[in-house]
Amino acid sequence: MSPERPVLRARGLAKQVGSGRARQQILAGVDLDVAAGEMVAVLGRSGSGKSTLLNLLGGLDRPDGGRVGVAGEEITGASEKTLDRIRLRRIGFIFQSFQLIEELTGEENVLLAARLPGAPRGGRRRAQALLARLGVSAVASHRPHELSGGEQQRFAIARALVNDPVLILADEATGNLDEGSAAAVIETLGELAAEGRAVVLVTHEAQSAAAADRVLHLVEGRLRAGREAAGPGP
Amino acid sequence: MSGAAREAWANVRARRGRAVLSGLGILLVATMLAVAATVSYGLETGFDRSAAEADLPDVLVSFDSQSASSVRERIAALPDLEAFSLREQLTSVPFRAGRESADNGVVEVVGPGRRGYAIVAGHDVSRRGGVVIEEGLATDWGLGVGDRIRVYDSPPLPIVGLARAPSNVAYPLAAPHIYVSLAAYRAATRQHSARQVNIAQIWLKDPSQLDAVLVQARMSSYGLSGLSLITRSGVRVVVDQAAGIVIALLAALSLIALLTAATMLTAAARAEIQRRLHAIGIWRAIGASRGHVARVAAFEALLVAVPAAAFGVGAGALLATGPSDRLLGLLNQDGPGSALLAPLLGCFALTVAIPALAAAWPAWRAAGGPPLALLRGAEIGGGRARWGTAGGGGLLRLGARLATTRRVRLVATLASLAICTSFVLLMLALASELNTLANDPTALGRRYQLSASLPASAAPRVRALPGVSAVGPRWEVSAVDAYSLGEITYVIGFRGDHTQFEDPPLVEGSRLGGARQAEVGRGLAQILGLRVGSTLALATASGRELRLRVSGIVSALEHDGRVAYVSERALLGAEPDAPEKLAVILKPGADTKTVTAELQRLGADVTASTGVAGGGKTLVDALRGLLLTIAAVDGLVCLYMLTQALALTAAERRSAIAVLRACGAGAGSIRVLLAGAALAVLVPAAVVAVVLERLVLGPAVSRLAQGYATLALGADAAEIAVLLLGLALIGTVAVWWVVRRLTSRPIAGGLG
Repeated sequence: MSPERPVLRARGLAKQVGSGRARQQILAGVDLDVAAGEMVAVLGRSGSGKSTLLNLLGGLDRPDGGRVGVAGEEITGASEKTLDRIRLRRIGFIFQSFQLIEELTGEENVLLAARLPGAPRGGRRRAQALLARLGVSAVASHRPHELSGGEQQRFAIARALVNDPVLILADEATGNLDEGSAAAVIETLGELAAEGRAVVLVTHEAQSAAAADRVLHLVEGRLRAGREAAGPGP
Repeated sequence: MSGAAREAWANVRARRGRAVLSGLGILLVATMLAVAATVSYGLETGFDRSAAEADLPDVLVSFDSQSASSVRERIAALPDLEAFSLREQLTSVPFRAGRESADNGVVEVVGPGRRGYAIVAGHDVSRRGGVVIEEGLATDWGLGVGDRIRVYDSPPLPIVGLARAPSNVAYPLAAPHIYVSLAAYRAATRQHSARQVNIAQIWLKDPSQLDAVLVQARMSSYGLSGLSLITRSGVRVVVDQAAGIVIALLAALSLIALLTAATMLTAAARAEIQRRLHAIGIWRAIGASRGHVARVAAFEALLVAVPAAAFGVGAGALLATGPSDRLLGLLNQDGPGSALLAPLLGCFALTVAIPALAAAWPAWRAAGGPPLALLRGAEIGGGRARWGTAGGGGLLRLGARLATTRRVRLVATLASLAICTSFVLLMLALASELNTLANDPTALGRRYQLSASLPASAAPRVRALPGVSAVGPRWEVSAVDAYSLGEITYVIGFRGDHTQFEDPPLVEGSRLGGARQAEVGRGLAQILGLRVGSTLALATASGRELRLRVSGIVSALEHDGRVAYVSERALLGAEPDAPEKLAVILKPGADTKTVTAELQRLGADVTASTGVAGGGKTLVDALRGLLLTIAAVDGLVCLYMLTQALALTAAERRSAIAVLRACGAGAGSIRVLLAGAALAVLVPAAVVAVVLERLVLGPAVSRLAQGYATLALGADAAEIAVLLLGLALIGTVAVWWVVRRLTSRPIAGGLG
């Protein structure tokens, strides 16, 4: 994908939260482009609006102003049906608290996304390959409460990848993990970017952000450039 | 306002959507309770209220006509006597007003003294003339004060008042009654002989002395023939029989309403407290007492429950008052009026107290835990109970698994829904049975579809008509009880076995076995005190007497069960000129209109057989209206219960649903998910409901009704299909509503 057509493009994103006197401008004109093969880390303090930004980028929430495009498709103002399709086929989400469904085994959690109407074919094959790649095949039939935090997050990553998305949005993906597990997850995200996906990682941990190609700081509702790493992936 | 109340108010304002949903549930439960209370209180107290208003006598004595002076002497000698009045009752009197007419009218020629009926419009009879007619007759014929009515062939008599006498049920359930003063009657009929009476009404100073007075009355009745004594409580038993089944059904409905209310409100309150455990942990950590936490929860519940319950109770009372008053009117009883306020206040108190307690108790329990555990998200009453969930996938199945996570709530919801659904099924079965009684002649044991006014000799010609399967001559005459000359009995005879044409269910004894036997309807058996083996003595219009041994008692609704089936020989022996008709059974699929036209070509007047007619039909219609009202309210409660169960599941599992939506699941997929949750509750509830109705509720109500009719109340395939369709509709509406609410919110909100 050419730099002119990034996987993710956001322009002038604005969002207010709260009401009345408690109303607060949490994003005030965020611009962001993420190319294929690029991993971008967004750093910010708690409450700075990192998760809100990620929700807007993934179409989980509607902005008050600005536009977002994913893989050339405009998601701002798109119908719910279009948003559902984009989320299903183009975007993979990874959450801090894993968000695995407790009633399902690790494998079923992964397959759930692959079995949604409109998902690309071959979900089971891809799921098994992902579980093997992420090293959790042996515990695939375990339920979330029987898994460690690191294992749960790997199943969550597999779920995010099972429909082969071009954009990965990770919200504090290492926030609930020990140092070793966190490092493994960051390494995996790097690999995903290296495969040609666009990865956006929001975090408050500088250590996690260090592996990114680009680090941006969310301050007073705007993104400011930080350290630029090795540039877009290979 | 106290701190707890202020906090509660802020919480309600912050969670308006949930408050509206809870309020709706409370409103529905309150409506259901108020419907049950309005009807059952009205029926339960109707007789006493009306008896007091009408000044109903303590004893009603009927006897063969005597001179008033001789009866007066005997009654005056009774002990503890406060007052008495005498009247003459004339039966089988033809009435006519406009296009309406009846040939079984009763004229009550009243003398001086107390009446035993209440004037509800206009004024009482007087020497100046005019008649008072019973309210039921006025309603049915559309008459009012100032209109005119013909009695016998008299000139039209002005109606001066309307009366209600709780000593009998109203027209058209019973014969129409007209009251006229002795002077006016004499003027109208030009009769000036000594006054004759056959009814005495007696009021006692101390009604507790009734037994002693009755003994004395029997002793002093020597020489009075056809004596019959009935006390006020005896009247009540007879009149209340018809209402008994309705009261029993409503008592069941009240219990169901309470059970449903307790289940729904407790589940909702528990889920809400579970959701707020973190906040409760914070309150406890900063020093709020356990009592404060419980008080806030109770205040919150009250803020929602008080207006919802008030509105629901009002709506229920309004909804039920119409059908209830119509039923009471048929029983000649008054509506409860302002006396209904007390039971309605009781309903209000219950529907307010249950949610307050249901909210306060789990809050109290939750607040008892260590604040640290609460802050970590502990569960009320221990960890989550789960059922085995190995294997399987798919949204439908996942939905079912989400709904079955909480076992206690699942069982409670399932039980409440099953009972409610079972009750709806019973109402459907009852309404369908009543519909059959009203419209299908075969339900009353009548096997023929047409009746033609042709002589028996025309039977071969009729049998030869296309579409006719069988033909039999039928005779019907009216007769009166030979002892009291009061009760009209309809004597029916067929050539050969009458059960080929009319086959009312045999309740006791055996079928008619010869010319000296009779099968009598249960109504007649009750009135005349007949049993199998008793002698039925009837006097026909021509003055001949018919004495027959009762071979069996049948359940016949026609003519209120005052029928006797006798042989052709016995009937024609007593009444040789009895009008003859032909009962015509059609072949399956035969066109009634074509056969009717053929019969008319033979010169016959043709009438189609119907189900319960006249008064019976009116009662059936009133009961059916009541049942449908109850079923509709119960159906709404089912809808609410399911919606609430789904909404609670969706609220508790909002993060799982949000993840699904984040993965690209659209509204359709979420609908499939919640349909799975709905099916997990509805399918077992429907199975339990059908089993419960067929094995418990149906047979129980059939037993209650066996005094009046043989009702097959086990739901059939059609009723079960209607129920399943209804449940599918309820499920669809509930899923649609919950998903609409869910998908109207941003996904991000569920991921927090």
